[in-house]
Amino acid sequence: MGELSLLSNGVNPVLLVVVPLALAFAVPLIGFVSKKIIKYIPVVAFLFNLIVALLLIPSVLKQPIVVKIGGFAPPFCINLVAGPIGILFSALIALAGLLVSIYALNYIREGPQEKYHILYLLLLTGATGVVLTGDIFNLFVFFEILCISSYALVAYLGNKAGIESSIKYLIQGSVGSSLLLLGIGLLYGQFGTLNMADIANQIHSASSPSIFVPMVLMITGLGVEAAIFPLNAWLPDAHSSAPSSISAILSGIAIEVGLYAVIRVLFTIFDASNFLMFFVFLGVLTLLIGEMCAFSQKNIKRMLAYSSIGQIGLIVFAFSIANTYGVTGGFFQLISHTLGKGLLFLAAGYMIYRSGSMDISTFEGMGKRMPLTSLFFTVGAFSIVGLPPFIGFPSKFMIVRAALSTGELLFTILIGIVLLGTVIEGAYFFRVVQVIYFKKGNGNPERKKAPISGLISMFIFVILILVIGVYPNLITKILNSAASELLNRIDYIRSVLG
Amino acid sequence: MSFLHNYIYYIGAFGLIFIGLFIILVKHNLIKVIIGISILETGVNLFLIAVGYISKGTAPIFSKPGINANQMVDPVPQALVLTAIVIGVAVLAMALSLAIRLYKHYGTLDLRKIKEQRW
Repeated sequence: MGELSLLSNGVNPVLLVVVPLALAFAVPLIGFVSKKIIKYIPVVAFLFNLIVALLLIPSVLKQPIVVKIGGFAPPFCINLVAGPIGILFSALIALAGLLVSIYALNYIREGPQEKYHILYLLLLTGATGVVLTGDIFNLFVFFEILCISSYALVAYLGNKAGIESSIKYLIQGSVGSSLLLLGIGLLYGQFGTLNMADIANQIHSASSPSIFVPMVLMITGLGVEAAIFPLNAWLPDAHSSAPSSISAILSGIAIEVGLYAVIRVLFTIFDASNFLMFFVFLGVLTLLIGEMCAFSQKNIKRMLAYSSIGQIGLIVFAFSIANTYGVTGGFFQLISHTLGKGLLFLAAGYMIYRSGSMDISTFEGMGKRMPLTSLFFTVGAFSIVGLPPFIGFPSKFMIVRAALSTGELLFTILIGIVLLGTVIEGAYFFRVVQVIYFKKGNGNPERKKAPISGLISMFIFVILILVIGVYPNLITKILNSAASELLNRIDYIRSVLG
Repeated sequence: MSFLHNYIYYIGAFGLIFIGLFIILVKHNLIKVIIGISILETGVNLFLIAVGYISKGTAPIFSKPGINANQMVDPVPQALVLTAIVIGVAVLAMALSLAIRLYKHYGTLDLRKIKEQRW
């Protein structure tokens, strides 16, 4: 262990951003040498990131690491804050990035593959940057890296649906970004600083109307990417027209990074405990609308996309309860959604590839034609619904416990509505599982497997879902420190400003 | 008149922002919507510059003797705007290239006629 801790002291969190960024721009150069090794670059980059993030966890749990870029003291420079939340998210991004890039080795066969890998690396670089940065304008810049690469990746296939969804996403996303920048400008005008901890430190010295306007602008701007209810019209189109590997990343990482930015702005910068009741209702509304729309879908990817909206609603609800259980449950649900929905999109990707259509009814008899992939899809579906022994069960259970621990009648009623949403979720997922296993396909029951790289990546997802589902204590330590970082903003300010 | 004199940049900035939003919400032609996004971004950039501007201020360089720090404009918003302009150009280029592809698929840029994706 001595050697390991020595190693982790030498690792700089800035590598988490720099290495994928540098490799993204090295892709065309490496392409001159050999076209065949390009697709392994994302695998290498995110394997590296995952190792760095895991090595950093022990030291981050003791004390957040603040990287001062340029060597100036925090209010004057751009700084990275690798606290428990930042490291939790970067490990999650690296993990999902690694598994999906293994899946993509064989899945991405058409189109300009070189550009796919560049944009994929940039998307996840932007995501990692957003969760690690401690500077609000830097957050905007990384957010734009994430958004622009996801606009391009949604249109990757270049078909009618992809281009149309991409342009819709772009229009809504860029209006959102402009509002975010306007909010940042208003904050800078009042406080003369862009450092998140410094703004958080001074926020109570300003009058409440003058911080309300930038707060609304920033939450609206970030809420577009986080797909909170009135701002999520782009999501089902974009997630269903992108290639499946990208849908997994958009659903598992991009909207959750948006949600991270929303809760960071709400809890740490604005300390907006007065407005959380609004977000409780918004969360429940998002959940119900997402689940009800998902129920009426016939297209498998649109169904999964609407289910993501429902899950985001649940996570917003959990965070807005704002006690320790609620926030811990929110982070847990984020992890469970990334693993579950990632697996579902990846499994659906090959099922669509075999059946030639996204229509759920064409999956009849898929349990015989692709036994392993169907099994993986079922595991993902059960986990999202929240059945034991999968990861969705402990995470949903924690949210229910959080709502009941408040002891208020309102939260008891709301958690009842949330459980109703879960019942709807169960109904449409079980319907798909039923079609896969219990309906006989009229085609020839030809057994075809997904390629081995796809199976390996889905298998690792399944293992993680099962292991964390059975032993949730494996990650409770980091979840608890993440929750306390979010709830104790004074500690965050102190650790950055010193 | 002094009100106008003091706040003219803010009025201009919010004017551009509302014009941009109006165009995005009301127009049906995709190219016009993209122009609206561009105007919106210009408004935000102008707002950021106005935050750090001092009337008759100079660049924050100690080039001439006798200039105090309070006569210099704030350089941070200018750095921000430089970054924001670059991002804006990237978004604009992306949007226009998508518009070209959209026109190839549909033969029109009228957003009312491009409705394959539905709820």
